[in-house]
Formats: sequence, structure tokens, C-alpha cells
Amino acid sequence: MSTLSHLDGDTIVAIATAPGRGGVGIVRLSGTAARAIGESLCGAPLTPRHAHFRVFRDSSGQQLDSGIGLYFPGPNSFTGEDVVELQGHGGPVILDLLVKACCAAGARLARPGEFSERAFLNDKLDLAQAEAIADLINSTTEQAALSATRSLQGAFSREIDALVEAVTRLRVYVEAAIDFPEEEIDFLADGKVAEQVEALQTRLQQVLQAARQGSLLQEGMKLVIAGRPNAGKSSLLNALAGQDTAIVTPIEGTTRDVLREHIQIDGMPLHIVDTAGLRESADLVEQEGIRRAWEEMASADRILLVVDGSSPDADIASAALWPEKNQRLGADLPVTVVHNKADLSGRPPAVIQQGGDTIIELSALTGAGMDLLREHLKQCMGYSDAGGDSFSARRRHLAALAEAAACLEAGREQLQLAGAGELLAEDLRRCHNALGSITGVISSDELLGEIFSSFCIGK
Amino acid sequence: MDYPQQFDVIVIGGGHAGTEACLAAARMGCRTLLLTHSVDTLGQMSCNPAIGGIGKSHLVKEVDALGGAMARATDRAGIQFRVLNARKGPAVRATRAQADRVLYRNAIREILEQQDNLSIFQQAVDDLLIENGRVAGAVTQMGLTFRAPSVVLTTGTFLGGKIHIGLENSAGGRAGDAPSIALARRLRELPFRVERLKTGTPPRIDARSVDFSSLEQQWGDTPVPVMSYLGSVAEHPEQRCCWITYTNERTHEIIRGGLDRSPMYSGVIEGVGPRYCPSVEDKIHRFADKSSHQVFIEPEGLTSTELYPNGISTSLPFDVQYALVRSIAGFENAHITRPGYAIEYDFFDPRDLNYSLETKAVPGLYFAGQINGTTGYEEAAAQGLLAGLNAALAVKGHEPWCPRRDEAYIGVLVDDLITMGTHEPYRMFTSRAEYRLLLREDNADLRLTEKGRELGLVDDLRWARFDAKREAIAVETERLAATFVHPGSAESAQLESKLGKPLTREYSLADLLKRPELEYADLAGLKGEPLADAQAAEQVQIQAKYAGYIDRQQEEIDRLRRYEHTRLPADLDYSAVDGLSNEVKQKLGDARPETLARASRIPGVTPAAVSLLLIYLKKRGALGRADQRQSA
Repeated sequence: MSTLSHLDGDTIVAIATAPGRGGVGIVRLSGTAARAIGESLCGAPLTPRHAHFRVFRDSSGQQLDSGIGLYFPGPNSFTGEDVVELQGHGGPVILDLLVKACCAAGARLARPGEFSERAFLNDKLDLAQAEAIADLINSTTEQAALSATRSLQGAFSREIDALVEAVTRLRVYVEAAIDFPEEEIDFLADGKVAEQVEALQTRLQQVLQAARQGSLLQEGMKLVIAGRPNAGKSSLLNALAGQDTAIVTPIEGTTRDVLREHIQIDGMPLHIVDTAGLRESADLVEQEGIRRAWEEMASADRILLVVDGSSPDADIASAALWPEKNQRLGADLPVTVVHNKADLSGRPPAVIQQGGDTIIELSALTGAGMDLLREHLKQCMGYSDAGGDSFSARRRHLAALAEAAACLEAGREQLQLAGAGELLAEDLRRCHNALGSITGVISSDELLGEIFSSFCIGK
Repeated sequence: MDYPQQFDVIVIGGGHAGTEACLAAARMGCRTLLLTHSVDTLGQMSCNPAIGGIGKSHLVKEVDALGGAMARATDRAGIQFRVLNARKGPAVRATRAQADRVLYRNAIREILEQQDNLSIFQQAVDDLLIENGRVAGAVTQMGLTFRAPSVVLTTGTFLGGKIHIGLENSAGGRAGDAPSIALARRLRELPFRVERLKTGTPPRIDARSVDFSSLEQQWGDTPVPVMSYLGSVAEHPEQRCCWITYTNERTHEIIRGGLDRSPMYSGVIEGVGPRYCPSVEDKIHRFADKSSHQVFIEPEGLTSTELYPNGISTSLPFDVQYALVRSIAGFENAHITRPGYAIEYDFFDPRDLNYSLETKAVPGLYFAGQINGTTGYEEAAAQGLLAGLNAALAVKGHEPWCPRRDEAYIGVLVDDLITMGTHEPYRMFTSRAEYRLLLREDNADLRLTEKGRELGLVDDLRWARFDAKREAIAVETERLAATFVHPGSAESAQLESKLGKPLTREYSLADLLKRPELEYADLAGLKGEPLADAQAAEQVQIQAKYAGYIDRQQEEIDRLRRYEHTRLPADLDYSAVDGLSNEVKQKLGDARPETLARASRIPGVTPAAVSLLLIYLKKRGALGRADQRQSA
């Protein structure tokens, strides 16, 4: 069955401003729960048609952004329904976090063109404007599909297909056992199904993790700054972070020796971890700091090895300068060498390929060469400013995968606790529908077709 | 001549659809005429002698909940009753009965003859009377004209019927019935799309020639189930067993040796057969690695020596049938009483029907049963009942009624047929119902009897029984929710062995009933009297166990309901809707769904396509105010 998602009463949310980086970014909600959701993020009542300056927080109280909250009661609103706008700082990451928080509070991601569609159906747009909506729905659907494909590139997309196929197979077994109990194919009874459910859960968790972690675009690249004490790591961190106005959540590290920053470069999210200087130390506290530094580096996407460009270290290739890295973390973890203190060494800002290293000459103090580093990091992530569409597409996929995982878990419990095959079947149906929102739904008749071609059914 | 008496509803055909149709119209107070070519074959089971089964018993019980005859006749004719899926949960449980053909026919005949407002007349129908574009009656073979504003056609496989045994074929209706050529010709002149299907039956076997000593017996369940909500075990005749045997490699070799003379494999048969009921030659051809297939041997009745070997439907030539039957254990010396055959027949594309089963082309004319591309007695009965009640509603000037997909399998059946049509004989399965947990055979009465009463389908006796049961469920549910068990109490100690650990806080009996370890019987007597009505007690338990799932399905239903009321104009030009893909235009044009909800259920029609339709309707001013989104 195909699911209609477009319904009376349900509240939709989307980023209203153009994708990419902008000075202001707007998240718009429309529907019966718009006000309640808006107020929960703003943490205070919203007076109709008043601009409220608020800190936007998610349900756990985590600060996401600050900005203006606006509430337009229907029918005097853009869509004719209750509408809330949250106007914050631009940048896809913050906006995405806001959308995520709205969804957690009960909103649903709008389909392409859905705001305009609602506006038209509620007599808020005239016929001439309406002509454009069909085009909009079409083109944005295509665009969304494109960005969905982009966001699900290669192996990940194949993983999803394989997952859907596995759910289909499982449903074929479960439904066959239910609809054809006299056919000697009672997979529910022989434990085979329970095994398959668990295998599928593991697989879905892996995909979900890959979807969350694998996408640097979504969750941000994790960058660890390493180097000898006094190479200028902290000043580099400050230079990277300080020049961007959108510092989202500075979180103190658990020890005094690991400091994290969450920053953006042109809207690209970046988790920076500043580690303790790497050296042999007799100080117990510092030893602990160093151990944690290695731990951080093990989960990094890239390491910035900061070297004092005015010291003799600058002439040594990174592998020789820092052999422990390859020994402990392997050669695959990419390293970018930063020759800091260009103001002292007198070398001009540049990106140099040398002895297998990418070296960036810069001065964190004067800022010279910092733009080269930013550009380099963006390139490493394959980031372009037009990432906004992929964000919402990916948000949709993550939501679908999480829903599918929850359904599977519910089904597993039902099978295990109550031996209830029919409830497992219902959970699998919902799981299938959730995944179907990514790949397209399969009808019950198609499922029956699969059953008939898999088993010899029929008296 | 014109028959002097005027009728409200005429039903043509006395099979399972026709009998339910005329009974329903008559129960609703319409002067009803049943026209059949043979009074002696009313209620005839022309295929295997069984009623019910997965998905099908759900339909039977829904027909019963609306006052129909099938379940009651089954209780009087069933010689073996079983509940399938008994261990898989109530939503997918299904009662199945082997029925004695003669007893079943007699029971149906008796119910028909006792029905007020119903007249029966034996005569083949040759023509429909159509005046000013609407149906006005029917004309029989001898030229007798019966007039009525509503006519229900339930003539089964008679259209273009062709029977195949080997490469021989002959025109014919099912099981020796004469095909009605004149009426078929007449219907072909009307603007209905006609397509072709195929089905088959196994050779029948004389029980006196079977060696049962080596065969596995299969008895019914104890306690013996009943089919009707009003039924009782006391009504059942003597119970019998079935047997199971198996095909073997030699059987398969014999079949393979005869494939060159199979009408299926030589291309003589064009019609599409059901995927779920393949012929035995199909099974061994498609699943060549399977060395053996089950054969269920079903008795045709208490007084008959004929057996129905379910599982070896075939259209192979008789000499091959003879050899393959005799290769099967127990059948070494079997005498075939009737050869198996395949039958090809025409059916009308059900997408030409409204949800009332009235044809879109000829107002007042209703189609029900196999004529719509379905198979099975139960599917036929369900449609018959629906067509009959809608024919009656039309006569009374009322709006038609059909249950929604979330209310009944009847709703799923009709919605599937009129929305998607069918490419094989359509049979009900529980997997077709997305709201399977709501549509159980145990609660068909709770879903439908009140509506049936309102429509005039449900008599006082059934209503009184239903009302008492419903009341008992409500009172008991309330009592369980208000009765608490405290930790450390004697009641708590009684539960400990089942739960495996003591209660840590107080729980209501209703909460405890939700636990998988506990049953109604464990709890109901702890504090107070359990229900005496087993059906009501069962409902209390199921409702508690399914509560979370039912709530979620209900939410899904509520969300989707909006578009059920957004009507799509019958003349909507889908090719003019901006932005729809050609594929979707084609599908919508073929199906011409009555509502936006139906459109959305056609495979391939995406949510974006639904939006485009909605915008198109709005632009044309074809959206009623009620269809539009209400602002909060």
C-alpha cells in the first residue's frame, strides 16, 4: 500500500531559505501543531504576529541557535494554516538541527512544494501562481530524488537496496507461513524467522551507523589537531574557530587536555579536537591526557599535524617526524601537515606537496594562509556550498532508517515474548513501509507474487 | 408475456453470490425475485467441498455478521471443522469446514424458502431489459419478462466457458452446467471490458476403490469450532476425517511424459490461472526440485462415496490422469468418477464497477461473484451480499454502502477489485489486508452487525445476541480496568508461577492481561466472576493483547481517511493533469477511481501524483469545501 503522507492536521516543517550559506536561515512549520512545536523550541509562548528574540533549544535543552520566532495563526498566514517561522543564523547544519528538533517535537518533513500546495488548497494563492506549483512539485521532486541519490551514493545505496530486499524476503517467509499454514512452510515455528530478524537488525544498525558516521556532510568531519607542545595547536584552533561567527556548541573536554570545538567553514560542519602535546611525560595527568589524545585520533577523519615552521622539524617528512602515528593508527588515516608560524619562518603561505605530505604554510597568529587551510579542508570533504538539498534528503533517509529499526525491534520482541507471528508481520509491514519511503513501496499483490514464485503453494 | 407482478430486485443466478444477494435484498424488505436455470442446484458447491480457510473465513463471518446464509448453512453441513493458524494469533486464525454438498445445498434451499419477500423462478435468462440507459428487468428463455429497477447478475463462469481435458475442448459451463449463450452475447454488446481467466479441478475418486490403510488421517479440532456467530456444535452433522497422501517421483515422471498433450503447455489455453492454485503439472514443472507434493483427500459428503483429492488439479488427457492418480499411495486401484479439467471463461473487468458493485455503464445493473474475476464461494458470497444490499438501497432511494478497507475484508475485496482489477482469479488472503489486526474473524460482528441492523439486514434474534455480547464486553473491560491486584496479596501469589516473579507494584487486571504470560482465564476469576460468554471473554482478551497495535493502526486509518471523501469526477481527463507521468495517467485512466484515496492505492501512484491531482481538482473548482484543508 502506498502511504499518503499529506494530511489534514499534520504539521510539516522545512527549511524555507535557499540552500547553502546565508546570513539568515528560516525554518518554517505549518499545521495544527505548528504553534506548540514552535513554542517548545523557543521555550516560551509566541504572541501572534510578534517578533520574539529567543534561544532555540531541542527537547534535551541543548542550545541549537538563537534568533527570531514568529507565529502566524491561520487562516491569515502563508498556507492558511497555523504557521511558525524560526529565523536563525544561516548554514545548513544549524538549520538541519532545527528541522530535526521540530521533527522530534512532532512535525513531519514537508514534501517538495507542499507549503505552496497547502497555500493553494486554502485559497492563499491565485490560479496564476498555482500553475507554477505543479512544475514546482515535479521539478523539486526530481531534484530531491537527485540529491537523495547523491546523498546515498555508491555502496550506501546498494546497502539500502540489499536491506529492502532482505525485509522483502523476510516478509515473504512470514506472510507465507501465515497465509498458507497447510503448506509445510511454517517458518515462524522453526526458529528460522527469529534468526533472520536478528540478522536483519544487525544489518540495519550497520547501515544506520554508516549513514550517520559515513557522511561527513551530515555530521561533520572530525579533525584532530596534534603536534608537539608549543607548535601552535591552540592558536590554530582559535584561528579556525574564531574567524567563523557561527560557533555552535563549544563543549569542554572531559579532561583539561582534550578540547573540542564544533565549527563551520562556509556551512561545512567540523568537529575539531585539540589534543595534549604528544611527548613522553612522567606527569601522570599529562600521561592520561596523551592516552586520550591517541583515543581521539583513532576515531578521527583527518589529523592536522602542527609543526613549528621555524624549527628544524619543518624539514622532516611527517612519517619520520612522527612514526608513532603510522604505528598506532596506520598509514590510511590522512594527515595534513601544517607549518605554523610563517610569520617567524618567513615562508610564504602556500600548499606544497612534498615527500608524500600535503604541507600548508601559514601563520595562525597573523591569519596568513588560513584561507588555504579552509579551502583544503573543504576539498578533503568534497564539500560544495550547494549541500542543502542533500541535507533534507538525508534527514528523510535517517528518519526512515530509524523508524525501520524501531519497527524491527518491536517485532522481534513480539516474536520472542509472545511468539506472535502476526504482530511481527505487522511490524515488518511498517518496517517495509518506512524503507519504502526511500526506495518505493511494494504492494501486497507483489508480495504475494514473491510468495508464489518462492514456494510451491496450492492444493 | 410480461410477468404480472412487479419486483424491486431481480437476482440472476443461484450460486453463492446469487443466494446471498437475493436474501439480502429480501431481508431489507424488497420484493425480490431469484431467477435460476435450476432450482435443484441452488447453493451448489461446484469446486472443492470446503468453506472457509485463511482470509476466506473472515469473509464468511462478515457475511454472517450482516445476516447472511453461508456460515449458518456451513454449521448445518460441516463434517469436519478446524481452526487454521490456531497458534499464530487471533488476527490470522481462520475456521475451515469440510461440507457435505447435499446437506449444504439443502440448508441453503431451506433458508431461501423460508425468506419473506423472496420468490424463486426456474428459467434461464436470455436478455436484460434496458430502458433509457438503465436496467429495467430480465427476459427469460421462453420470453417471459420480469421487471425491476435493480438487477444483480451473478452468473459465474458461464461466459464463453471452454472446458479442456488434454487437447480436447468443448464449450461449457462449470460442472456440466449449460452455458448461457444468448445472455453472453447480449452482455458483450454492452460497453464492458472483457478478459479471460482459467481455473481447474482435480479428477474425483471413488472412496470404495481407495486403500486408506496407508494414509494419514486428519481429524477436526476439539472442541469443535462453529462458523456462525449464532451457530452451535449441536447443529453439526456427524464428523468425518480427511486424509493426506503425497505425489512421488513416479507421479512426476508420468506427468512430465504427458506435458506434450497438456493444453497449458501446448498453448491451447490462453486464460491466466491462479498462482496460488496451480495444476499439478504446473507444480512439478515450476518446482522441479520438489520430489513430492501433498494431496488432501476430502470427502464430498456423508452419503457420497466420492472424494475430492485436493492438490492434483489437472487438465492432462484422461489416460495421463488415470496413470498419475494410480501412482499415488492409497490410489493404486483408484476409480476416477469424474475426470479433472481446466475451464477458461470470460469475466468483466471489475474496474468498470462502482464500490456498490453497480456497473458504471448501466445504472441499476450489479455484478457479483466470479463474473468479476474472483474465485471462491466466500468471495462470491461477500460480493453477492453487497450487491444485493446496494440494489435494495438504490430501490429505496438511499446512498450505496460498502465497508472501508479498515472495516472489513469485504471492503478490501471490493476496493482491490474496482481499483486495480485483476489478472488472475482473485482470492482473498490475509496479507491483502493492511489492517489485518483489526479485521479478525472473531470480531466481524463487532465491526459490522450494528451497520447491518441499520440497513435492515439483521433480524431480532441476531441483534439481541449481539447486543448482549457487546454489553458484556464493555462491562467486563471496565471491570478489569478498575480491579487491582496488590503485591503481596493472595491474588498476586496465584499469578507468581505464571509470571515467574512477584508483582512489585499494584496492577489493574487490564494491565496484567496485556502481558504475554497471562490469559483471561488466569485473571478473570481472581476477584469476581469471569464472563460466561466465551465469545465475549475472547474479545476482552484479544482487545487487551492487541491494544497498542490497534491504536497505531487506528491512527494510520484516521490519517488516511481524508481522501476517502475527495471524489474524482467520472469524466476526469487524466491526460490533461499537469505533471503526471504517462504511466500514471494511463493507470488512472484505466481504473477511473471514484475517490482520491482509491487513486492513491493504485500501485505507481505516488504522493506527488496525488498532490498534482488535488491541485488539478482545485483549479477546476471540483473540490468541495469539505475536501479542502481546514485551517486550525
